[in-house]
Amino acid sequence: MAREYVNMKNLRFLLHDVHQIKEVLAQPYYAEHDLESIDMMLDAVKQLSDTYLFPHYEDMDRNEPQLEGGEIKVHHSVRPYLDAMGEGGWIGAVAPMDLGGMQIPEMLGVSAAFVMAAANNGATGFNGLTTGAANLIVSFGSAEQKEKYLPKMFEGSWQGTMALTEPQAGSSLSDIQTTATPMPDGSYRIRGQKIYISAGDYTETENVVHMLLARIDGAPLGTKGISLFIVPKYREGEHGELVFNDVTPAGLYHKLGQKGTPATHLMYGEKDDCHGYLVGEPHRGLSYMFQMMNEARLLVGLGAVSIASAAYHASLQYAKERPQGRRYEDGKRDLTGPQTPIINHPDVRRMLLLQKAIVEGGLSLVMECARYADLAKAGDEETRAHYELLLDLLTPVAKTYPSEMGIVSISQGLQVLGGGGFCKDFPLENYYRDIRIYPIYEGTTGIQSQDLLGRKVVIKNGKAVKLLMAEIQKTLEAAEAYEDLRPYAEKLRAKLETVQQILMHLVPFAMQGKIERYLSDATLFMELFGLVVVAWQWLKQGVVAKQHLVSGKDDPDFMESKLHTMKFFYHYELPKTLGLAERLLDDTVLTIAEDTRELVN
Amino acid sequence: MLKILVCISHVPDTTTKIKFEADGSALDRTGVTFVINPYCEYGLSRAIGLREEGKQVSITALCVGGPEVEPTLRKALAIGADDAVRIDAPANDSAFVARQIAAYAKGKEFDLIFTGKESIDFNGSIVPGMVAELMDFAFISFATHMEMKGDNSATFHREIDGGMEVLDATFPVVVSCQKGISEWRIPNMRGIMAARKKPLAKVSPAEVREYVDPVKLTYPPARGNTQYFEPEDAQGLVGTLIDKGLI
Repeated sequence: MAREYVNMKNLRFLLHDVHQIKEVLAQPYYAEHDLESIDMMLDAVKQLSDTYLFPHYEDMDRNEPQLEGGEIKVHHSVRPYLDAMGEGGWIGAVAPMDLGGMQIPEMLGVSAAFVMAAANNGATGFNGLTTGAANLIVSFGSAEQKEKYLPKMFEGSWQGTMALTEPQAGSSLSDIQTTATPMPDGSYRIRGQKIYISAGDYTETENVVHMLLARIDGAPLGTKGISLFIVPKYREGEHGELVFNDVTPAGLYHKLGQKGTPATHLMYGEKDDCHGYLVGEPHRGLSYMFQMMNEARLLVGLGAVSIASAAYHASLQYAKERPQGRRYEDGKRDLTGPQTPIINHPDVRRMLLLQKAIVEGGLSLVMECARYADLAKAGDEETRAHYELLLDLLTPVAKTYPSEMGIVSISQGLQVLGGGGFCKDFPLENYYRDIRIYPIYEGTTGIQSQDLLGRKVVIKNGKAVKLLMAEIQKTLEAAEAYEDLRPYAEKLRAKLETVQQILMHLVPFAMQGKIERYLSDATLFMELFGLVVVAWQWLKQGVVAKQHLVSGKDDPDFMESKLHTMKFFYHYELPKTLGLAERLLDDTVLTIAEDTRELVN
Repeated sequence: MLKILVCISHVPDTTTKIKFEADGSALDRTGVTFVINPYCEYGLSRAIGLREEGKQVSITALCVGGPEVEPTLRKALAIGADDAVRIDAPANDSAFVARQIAAYAKGKEFDLIFTGKESIDFNGSIVPGMVAELMDFAFISFATHMEMKGDNSATFHREIDGGMEVLDATFPVVVSCQKGISEWRIPNMRGIMAARKKPLAKVSPAEVREYVDPVKLTYPPARGNTQYFEPEDAQGLVGTLIDKGLI
């Protein structure tokens, strides 16, 4: 097992130096926190992860949850972990203080989630889902609902879930069939079934609070007829006692990875006694859920980069320790001398640099989004609109780049270990299985790409893109102050022009109503756009590293490594945009189904 | 009310790769993370445990050092100390540190002074004994267990070679702590936020002469070169071992 799973120095570098959390802390909303307390919280989360998460990662994968006699049993480490999370204040950390939260910046929340998920991504779904469900109640619940559910959820006693998917309604949520019948007491009777509900039921929790989408009887078809309900496993009875609420596990999915968290198939109201409680207004459930889903998408990107981080450290450790083969000196190898650690072979080094570039570039992008979320939350109306637009544009990218490239990163990491990587003696195969779900969670890569190209790029006549270009411009100007960064600023500037050129080529299809044509290569556009955006993040890191080197403060080896990885990204990854651009500007499209013939057979 | 002083050493994180300044005069602090000395943290945790057991306690955390030790003291406050004191002087010499602690503690009627069994940087393991002597307190070293016995005394366990010694001691007492006496605690968010508002006083050092003058730090000698033998060359291996007098 690898000894490390995150680089805390890098995390602090991103949080403090690159993304300047002090600017966020200057907002009155975060007055209860300062830089020292932020660092102390990071130390605490690392300690918590070292104690409750990392030691159980492998065993949790080997001993997945079991459904026996109608009850789901999870790994023995889950309860102590959730108790520690509740006691530490982490489950409600981002929520406002008047609701029992800690009102920490999203940037810190993201940093903490990164460390925990890198330690054991199979476990962090439990608390992550509770946080997500609680956030919905914070945003849209009544005062009574907040009082009833939030304290128990924040202390880790009650589990939260997102109950959306049904057998016929996955990506197409407008086809949800679960029903909600109004009752005279103001509650609703829920009937239906939900699938793939993570942490949907298990014995080591006092209660489960499902945030469930359903149709009120008579509601219009489509997305405008969907409402959001709280459906607890145990509801409050007449005298305040908890009574069973007719939510039963019908099955447990056996997954490729992330085995610690049970994925359940749940039946609601089989005995017609499942009470649901409307959240907010009727028929607005999907818009409420989408607010949460944007946060969740960011966390999915973060989860992917966390696993990729753990894999990188495992590969790096192996590469430093494994002697194999010899280096060439003056065109020859000395076969009598000792073998060299494999990190000294160029191809292994390339794979490690790719891992590092993806992990630290992807994390920086997620952190940038978290910063926008913080500045939007604490700012005036104009500031909020500005940063929300940027956040809207970058959220699908921050979800997709780490998810897709995280798989590539771990695959390369597994390759570093050779045959060992394919075996359970090392954790790489586990990380490789765990990350595969991330391009599927919370809207697949295809959905994210259509969201980016179909909505976000053209929203408000392309205003979001203009705002992003202005942000990137600031980095370009900062980079141009240093002679050795200037070539990289020029490369990035050229790629921004490529993006504009592609949009000029594609947008007319949308204007002509040729939507399938416009979106047919959306995923390839996402790939290109992701490379450009992460190149920006690398230049941003490079500028700060350069500033530190010039001023002579901090660790020069760390800063040089940053610049080296930035250069790697620009010389090895960014050129991939050339092929993507060629495809995106190509008028031959082979993927749109024809009415007359089926050519994919 | 039990008055407890917890002495805290500010030490490099156990995972830190230690480097010295080029002239060997001091530790190179560049990029080094500092933490509460793990053995001192056992003492802090045991003090908080007494509160959890229902005792009325006040816990003061103390560290000898410059402003750079304040984050470490803040962490002690976040974990549960009520207030903190920084004696504003470099902690280069064990006797100097012990005298500073004693000078501060005298007259303040502490019932218990917890320290670590040693600091993990210089491993002197002599400060607690010197403090006990200077204060004329009882001294329990290497304590692995502590259980209150009434309001003014406690039973202690200490590991000895091949067994365990059980002792009763009436307060005031200095206790040097090691693993077993308590579990480390992870500060929670409320504690961390509360720590910002707890008092952290800077105290001028007492007039105490330094008994030693640190001259130089050096690394241990590098290990000898590894010599490789091909699998079929067992004879060469054995011959080399004989030549070196190892077999």
